[in-house]
Amino acid sequence: MNTVFGGGFIEGASYIVQGQPGAGKTILGNQIAFATAAAGKRVLYITLLAETHDRLFQSLSTLTFFDKQQLGRSVSYLSVFQTLNKEGLSAVVNLLRKETKRQGASLIVFDGLLNARDRAETQLDVKTFVAEVQSQAAFVGCTVLFLTSARLEDDSPEHTMVDGVLELHDELVGARTVRRARLRKSRGSAALGGYHQYEITEDGISVYPRLEAALSRPSVEDAADTQPVLSGIEGLDALTGGGLPRGSTTLLVGPSGSGKTTFGINFLAQCSLAEPGLHFGFYETPKRLMLKARALGLDLQTHVDSGALEIAWHPLTENLLDKLAYRLLDAIAARGVKRLFLDSFGAMERAAVSRTRLVEFFAALTNELRAQGVTTVGTWELRDLFASEVTAPNSEISSLLDNLIMIRQVEIRSEYKRVLSVLKVRDHAFQAAPQEVVIGERGLAIRGDFEPASGISTGLARPLEA
Amino acid sequence: MKIVVAEDEFLIADMLVVSLEDAGHVVHSAAHGAAALHLAREHQPDVIVTDFMMPLMTGLELAEAIRADGALRHTPILLVSGAQGAIARERADLFDLVLDKPYDIDRILEAVAQLEQRP
Repeated sequence: MNTVFGGGFIEGASYIVQGQPGAGKTILGNQIAFATAAAGKRVLYITLLAETHDRLFQSLSTLTFFDKQQLGRSVSYLSVFQTLNKEGLSAVVNLLRKETKRQGASLIVFDGLLNARDRAETQLDVKTFVAEVQSQAAFVGCTVLFLTSARLEDDSPEHTMVDGVLELHDELVGARTVRRARLRKSRGSAALGGYHQYEITEDGISVYPRLEAALSRPSVEDAADTQPVLSGIEGLDALTGGGLPRGSTTLLVGPSGSGKTTFGINFLAQCSLAEPGLHFGFYETPKRLMLKARALGLDLQTHVDSGALEIAWHPLTENLLDKLAYRLLDAIAARGVKRLFLDSFGAMERAAVSRTRLVEFFAALTNELRAQGVTTVGTWELRDLFASEVTAPNSEISSLLDNLIMIRQVEIRSEYKRVLSVLKVRDHAFQAAPQEVVIGERGLAIRGDFEPASGISTGLARPLEA
Repeated sequence: MKIVVAEDEFLIADMLVVSLEDAGHVVHSAAHGAAALHLAREHQPDVIVTDFMMPLMTGLELAEAIRADGALRHTPILLVSGAQGAIARERADLFDLVLDKPYDIDRILEAVAQLEQRP
């Protein structure tokens, strides 16, 4: 959330948090309240709702940030419903001023601005109310959050008064609920505009800023090391000039069963404590992956035991694209990962709600991986086992990736063989001839040029007869 | 019996006032501690029923003010609170009885009756 706001809330500033019921405003307000209290400051949580505080505490008690010990000590829940009803808005302003001063509060969360609006006789009243509350608070350096379920328009008087407006959206996309936050306005900080996905868990609200906005530039300087990274596949490095360029991203395309996962196991079997590896996958569970590696005669277990390799499995269920990216980058940062096998790019694409941003998303991700010196191999499954056409992923995404390798089964002379073709290596000469590969005792290995034939890339090859 | 009720939450205040009135008491209610203190000085109640977290003056501060007031110092005080029961129970000098929310209204009526019978 701090990233979205360009560094958090500003002391003495005021913000509106708006969203339909259920979008998580109250959770957010309380989460911020308890975080402020945990930092040793005092908070006033002002409600204008008829719901009792006790019911609120009951629903908050399942959340990890809720600390009953702080109630009445650093966080005070006060209802001004009666004051508003009996004495009106100006009495509420007065009460807030006295109470802020009395408690030395650093934060006021005002839950229920909509009710204040109902009570106001004219728009001017609300504007005056918001203006007075915030100017008093600003005077003593107190930050104010107004929570409201009203759909306030851009030109509403409340919007013009406050320093920031955060919208929480809760909408259905297909069969899933998608929660997105948007900062509509932010004075005095370099905020990240647009929609950011968030989720509500027992830890409260977690916002995942759009990767391409948060990492519009990589977080570190590009590593200049150009020493190639060994692929771990016998015979492949000779074709690509000694290995995969360090920090490059390789897209490995091929239909199901062609040997993509095996390629990854070969690649990760080369990791070491100096060059830690990460398997970031959506399909095989860690257990199955280990079994597979053992069957191939490659030892991943020793690497996992020594800490040289981590296997992170995210089932292909409802994932948030940006959350996945942050998980990935966190896992990389935690262990200084240098070899990444991502299985697959397609699964990440499926997690996207809006596909129009995929190009920018993958650009930000691959730039960051490159800058971190991570050599990445990612897979992309081709739909057809045999096809007259070879479909690469969205051409714009392909162009972001440094290297392109295709692997597939080919039927030739009533036999199935595997073929691997290097289609692109960034800034390096490579041998483009299709290669025959086998899955042998040490996983994937290149046996040599595929026999002369036509139609190899379609999977249905015809030998070139003399 | 005269009772002053201090409660900022409208729903709870309303329920308390109606129930106490139905039980035959005369009830004066205030939305925060400061107003309750004012009412107590004006009406000299037999019992004070107060919430803990309230604007301007908390239940704890109200009790301190009552105990420091020559005319009111022996008034029985009943605190009803969601989360601060523990804080209040440490102050037996201030509160005659502490009840936790959410509470049973009959338990309050019973408690009020008991407090009244005290010498």
